[in-house]
Amino acid sequence: MSPRGLLGRQLLLSILLAAAASAGFAGAAIAHPHVWATVRSEIVFGPDHRITGIRHHWTFDEFYTAMAVQGLDANGDGVYSKEELRPLAQVNVESLKDFDYFTFVHLSDDDKPLPLKAPVDYSVDYDKTLLTLHFTLPLEKPLDPKVHEVAVDVYDPSFFVAFGFATEAPVILTGAEAKGCSANVTVPDAETAADTKALTESFFSQLGPNSNFGSQFAQTALVKCTAH
Amino acid sequence: MHRPLSRAALHSLSVLVLGLVLLIAALVSSRAETRPATPFGVPVQGAAPSAFAPQAAAPLQARGPFGKLLSWVADTQQSMQRELATGVKRLKSGNAIGAMLALAGLSFLYGVVHAVGPGHGKAIISSYVVANEETVRRGIMISFIAAALQALTAILLVSVLLIGLNATGLQVNAWANQLESVSYAMIALVGLYLLTTQSVRLWHSYREGSTAQAAKSQAVHAHSDHGHHGHDHHHHDHDHGHHHAHGEACDHMVDARELAGPFSWRKVMAVVFSVGIRPCTGAILVLVFALTQGLFWAGVAATFAMAFGTAITVGVLASLALGSRELALKLGGASAAWANAVWTACTMGGAAVIFVFGLVLFLASLGPARPF
Repeated sequence: MSPRGLLGRQLLLSILLAAAASAGFAGAAIAHPHVWATVRSEIVFGPDHRITGIRHHWTFDEFYTAMAVQGLDANGDGVYSKEELRPLAQVNVESLKDFDYFTFVHLSDDDKPLPLKAPVDYSVDYDKTLLTLHFTLPLEKPLDPKVHEVAVDVYDPSFFVAFGFATEAPVILTGAEAKGCSANVTVPDAETAADTKALTESFFSQLGPNSNFGSQFAQTALVKCTAH
Repeated sequence: MHRPLSRAALHSLSVLVLGLVLLIAALVSSRAETRPATPFGVPVQGAAPSAFAPQAAAPLQARGPFGKLLSWVADTQQSMQRELATGVKRLKSGNAIGAMLALAGLSFLYGVVHAVGPGHGKAIISSYVVANEETVRRGIMISFIAAALQALTAILLVSVLLIGLNATGLQVNAWANQLESVSYAMIALVGLYLLTTQSVRLWHSYREGSTAQAAKSQAVHAHSDHGHHGHDHHHHDHDHGHHHAHGEACDHMVDARELAGPFSWRKVMAVVFSVGIRPCTGAILVLVFALTQGLFWAGVAATFAMAFGTAITVGVLASLALGSRELALKLGGASAAWANAVWTACTMGGAAVIFVFGLVLFLASLGPARPF
């Protein structure tokens, strides 16, 4: 066996190893969600036809619900009162901050998310089967949707939680100033070209906290208004 | 010695792969059916779906050709989780044995599919068996022990905290996250340990090798010489022994196969424990749900069925990894130098992967606590 042949094989081996390693990463990238949330959102309009914030109603699946409310019936009367559930709402909205509230408000032609303020008016309710979290996210600066279409993406970049807009009445516009505006939900479809950026990122950053795997599944509420 | 062993390995591997394919086929076809009624006479579309119906969400969908596959993975996960919930509830009405069998089967399938996602020690166990002189049989054994430990951890966590200490679900979550960090830290330590001991062994055998090797020309001569010997021992002897059996002519070669060191239970247990201390999130969810339904024992049974499923997936992947090593070894034909290069790459590479995975996951797990 000549040393040159050995070198060739070592090269081949490196390729094999690299392929195996990337297969491992690809496997890791087939992440799946553990928690499901059905999203209903209100686009809140304030004065001057401006959007002042987003009010979310997220309904969780039965498994997460069981987990979240477990042990919260402090007086053991079988009823989960508002007072008993308040700490849960508190913990939820407080820790949501580190995850940008899973809500990315941006102009439809610009991906840069606009800053949001801390949630207000938050609460959870439990109908004995499912848990729903309600909270309002005020925009730092009110937006005029007549100048730009406004997009609201709701997703978990790490894909631990799968957010999907409700099939019925997913987005409503609230406030008297919402006249002439409408909202539509768009869902990614298989026919559109893949978001290669998200895909490659997901393959390599799946392990990290900055994983962007979930963005491929992002559903968007688009707010359009007709000018006066 | 070498050939029958690898044939046995291939055999058990193909049986496992076939089983997995059949399982997935069964799963897909059962999901494709319209499901008029269950074989157990209990209507499937009972109480559970109505709870979800008003809150139906748009189906998860990603863009592009991959999107379909990824959506399918997520979608399967969701419908299986829902069916698990229905399965637990069904235990309360009528045919408990039938419902239990259905739940166990479903949990098992859930485990098989669930383990494809991250967090069940696929990468760690596969890397470990490749980095060490493990056989397919031991690879599968390690996968099973690790999965059983993950199940036990989940059961212990939920029963101690929720039944024993009357804690909240949020506290269970927090504990699960802590254990996850501990698990990753331990994985990183195991990787570091393997990396150091193997580097030391590599260094020693390299030094021994270079003292025995007088000149470069001799090395070239030795290569061809070795090829001859290699051809010989390929047929009858491929284990530790060949080194000594062949005497002087082989001594300058680094027997990288020995880098991995002998099999030790302590090493195996370290790997299994570091993976197994992290409770599976899916198992915790099922356990807590079963507990709230007043059927904790059903959750325990489901957790073990699930662990059996994850063990099979992880075992198959570990066996595939071992098969790849075997293939890589065969690429070299009779060359002992090649075999040594493969063993060095596997031992060092595998140890490095364990260390890096553990470290990255550990650092990632230190991030902010998740809201849900």
